[in-house]
Amino acid sequence: MTASILAVEIRDELYSIIREPTAAVFSIAMPVGMFALFATLFGTEASGPVSGATLMLATFGAFGVISVALTPGIGIAEDRERGWLRVKRVSPVPVRTTLAAKVAASLPVAFGVYAAMSLTAFAMGLFDTDVRTWLQIAGLLLLGSLPFALLSIAVGFVARGRTAPAIINAVFLPMAIAGGLWMPLEMLPSFVQDLSVWLPTYHASQLGLGVLMGEPMIDHIVALVAATTVTASLAAMAYRSSRA
Amino acid sequence: MTVTDIVAIRDLDHRYGETHALRGVDLTVASGECVALLGPNGAGKTTLVSALTGALAPAGGTVRITGNDPRRPEARRRLGVVHQHAGFPRTLKVGELVAGWAVRAGRPAADADAVLAEVGLHDLRKRRATQLSGGQQQRLQLAMALVVDPTLLVLDEPSVGLDIDARRRFWATLAARRDRGTAVLLTTHQIEEAAAVADRVVVLHQGTVIASGPPADLTAQLPDRTVTARTALRDRELRALPDVLDVTVADGRMRAASARPEATVRALLAADPTLSDLRVEGATLEQAIVSMITQESQEVAA
Repeated sequence: MTASILAVEIRDELYSIIREPTAAVFSIAMPVGMFALFATLFGTEASGPVSGATLMLATFGAFGVISVALTPGIGIAEDRERGWLRVKRVSPVPVRTTLAAKVAASLPVAFGVYAAMSLTAFAMGLFDTDVRTWLQIAGLLLLGSLPFALLSIAVGFVARGRTAPAIINAVFLPMAIAGGLWMPLEMLPSFVQDLSVWLPTYHASQLGLGVLMGEPMIDHIVALVAATTVTASLAAMAYRSSRA
Repeated sequence: MTVTDIVAIRDLDHRYGETHALRGVDLTVASGECVALLGPNGAGKTTLVSALTGALAPAGGTVRITGNDPRRPEARRRLGVVHQHAGFPRTLKVGELVAGWAVRAGRPAADADAVLAEVGLHDLRKRRATQLSGGQQQRLQLAMALVVDPTLLVLDEPSVGLDIDARRRFWATLAARRDRGTAVLLTTHQIEEAAAVADRVVVLHQGTVIASGPPADLTAQLPDRTVTARTALRDRELRALPDVLDVTVADGRMRAASARPEATVRALLAADPTLSDLRVEGATLEQAIVSMITQESQEVAA
């Protein structure tokens, strides 16, 4: 894979975001709007050294970043349905390069969600962290979204263009709520709290919380590596089945 | 495989469940040669093209393009493919697509301008691909296929949607590339077009090559010719003429397939003094292929 080929692939993906921005705007506006709502309601409640709104940058931030990380699969399903992926397959570009470009092109949008939430917290006077910590959380959220990007790729190789978003949302939204991305786990029923430790959404949000609260993150990293292995296998299986 | 063979397919075999799509197919395409792959739906053409373009891992046999396995991406650097339908992304412009395709093949993006001019799309390079007409989209696919400086072009029903002028230009462009050594594999249902442009026709039926050769050689294998005329003779009388295989009459004009048209014409002239507008036509490539497929099916059934 040469850098110039990857650059062209990323450029094409960025054009699809810039020239048809509706989906990207929705991907940013929806989680940021929810963040603003929940920050207004609970953001002033301090938990240790930081405000509730800053903690929500880890949880709602994970929700927003993962929402964007799930979009490459929708693009794959549309490309498959349109026939474009068939054209790409006979080009000299390995499919992994095409997929890597789709994921890479989603990163600026994902970061945009996190930045918009941070600006919202800042505007509300509830931004309680330094730039280094803020960037650290951003990096961890982006890395933590990898298993979700792979999951969306798996869906993209088996679902149709119109059904892929429905499938992705049907899987992700319950995982987001049960993983504590919308509200603290303590507010959820005990059986959901028991379930949450098995969900990658929970571990993705715990990375940012770990940075803010100074708690160890190794268990969450191990869990996300395991989730990445599983979703990578699912993506490979889905890719093979789409070629059969 | 000779030194000039661009494509070398040996004993290619593939199944989809119970369906045996390809059964030991051999095929070569030499540098500068145009081979038309013909056959009815389900003959195995798509499977063969998929294996040749690296989109399918065949169950058996070998496929090579200039000695390399097309499953390896780098072996496809100088492979140009024109599909029936490309499904271009809504957000990319003509010039971006062709320049991007050049870069993917390891060539300068600047090559796109010359190729766009070659296919007559240079003025439309800033237009989005999905805003082009069907014929223009086919030309865009041709531009993407040509910008890789192909050693092999694979064309799947390439002239669908092209008007007469665009079709002529399309084939003229390809002829120029063939003169420079590009091999062409064409699959089409427009058999007479294939007869006009191909050096060699390969007929695939139920996953097997049942005939291969220059179009003229294939039509020469068909013994029957078609005798047409305006005649007062009735259907029963026409069928009784010597060597007649089949007769149809429409609007006072009869068409008779004959194994020996000379004998049929002599008897026809003797039987009908009012006969007019008499013609004897050679078998078309389509008739030859239909005849081969029918014969093959009958042999398999027997």
